[in-house]
Amino acid sequence: MTEKRALLLVGSPRGIEKSTSGRLGGHLLDTLKARGFGTEQVHVHAAVRSPDALESALAAAAAADLVILSLPLYVDSFPAPVIAFLENVAERRTGAGRAGLFLLIQCGFPESEQNATALAIAERFAAEVGWRWLGGLALGGVETYGGSAHEVLEQIGKALAEGKPAPDLAAKKAMPAWLYRAGGNIMWRRMAKQNGVAGKLRARPYED
Amino acid sequence: MNAVVLDGSRNEQGQGIVTVLTAALAQAGYATEVIALREKTIAPCKGCFGCWMHTPGECVIDDEGRQVARAVARCDLLVYFTPVTFGGVSSGLKKAVDRLIPNISPFFARVRGETHHQKRYAHCPSLIGLGTLPQPDRQAETLFKTLVEHNALNFRSPRTAAAVVALDRPDDIEAIARGLVEAVTQ
Ligand SMILES: Cc1cc2nc3c(=O)[nH]c(=O)nc-3n(C[C@H](O)[C@H](O)[C@H](O)COP(=O)(O)O)c2cc1C
Repeated sequence: MTEKRALLLVGSPRGIEKSTSGRLGGHLLDTLKARGFGTEQVHVHAAVRSPDALESALAAAAAADLVILSLPLYVDSFPAPVIAFLENVAERRTGAGRAGLFLLIQCGFPESEQNATALAIAERFAAEVGWRWLGGLALGGVETYGGSAHEVLEQIGKALAEGKPAPDLAAKKAMPAWLYRAGGNIMWRRMAKQNGVAGKLRARPYED
Repeated sequence: MNAVVLDGSRNEQGQGIVTVLTAALAQAGYATEVIALREKTIAPCKGCFGCWMHTPGECVIDDEGRQVARAVARCDLLVYFTPVTFGGVSSGLKKAVDRLIPNISPFFARVRGETHHQKRYAHCPSLIGLGTLPQPDRQAETLFKTLVEHNALNFRSPRTAAAVVALDRPDDIEAIARGLVEAVTQ
């Protein structure tokens, strides 16, 4: 039996190591590795910066049985370089009829439902390029989950390793939305103070 | 009143549609600036939040993305023009849209029961989304409209409308353009 291959595409500009997308995606990839998958990680922003990197990322996608796309929600959809990469996949019909796609998406707002449009876009992409849609996990206000996101990812990893679509799960939140907003606003003020711009947070540089 | 059209198409094939839209806008009293994003150097957003926490209101990347954000902050109506891509917007448009977050405030607010951001500028532009598809496609069209509606919440646009032109039905373009402009002006 040949080894199954899982490819993690990290779609955050902050890179594989420093982003939440990279960390959570890495955790899911580890659960697949523990179940015998051969694994590979690609930073999408780096892949679309040069023709060579793009070719090798597309080749990795073409060889994968399972593609995990892990990214932050950017203005209700994917960061621009991720869309650019997917446009390339669609143009070349990379991995058509072979790869399965799982979307791991997380956003800054506390409501995980805010990822719904982006999830639908990923499912539509899969249908257009002929990848099997394996579902997604949407998280909101990701810092608030603690360990519960990891537990959910382990259950998902188990299903994906068995070749099944991911169960439709939600991670448990540690805090209500109003508290998250209040805490977030305090955090922004504190950060601005540290940066020496406390009085300038509401600046309007482009006002007429 | 003035409008800014962010043209996210890959080539000049959509020019005819932009011209029809600009004419409909002119009739409603708008002066329109069309920005062909394919000709602009706009690096992708770095996700650093420097536009909120280091140089509030301006992106830390000094390229044409800043000029686009400036034009958008000052207009009354923002228009997305884009090939509908997997039901969403194209990378050609999105590279500019990701760079628009300096125009909103970092502070959270509750808007229609959900978390969004407070305004940075008292006056936010309305938002029109005009997508193109090779032929009619109900699912992609619905998805595109939903996306534009959500973007309008995030950018605190007072009014919003979206529509899709099927390129195999050029006769519909004028009515669609007029409908969009009416929807945000009435
Ligand atoms: C340009 C930009 C746009 C964003 N748009 C949204 C959004 O529409 N909704 C949301 O909840 N969070 C939004 N966020 C917040 C990110 O999704 C959030 O910070 C995420 O956790 C970053 O993950 P990463 O560390 O993997 O990059 C946006 C962030 C940036 C920089």
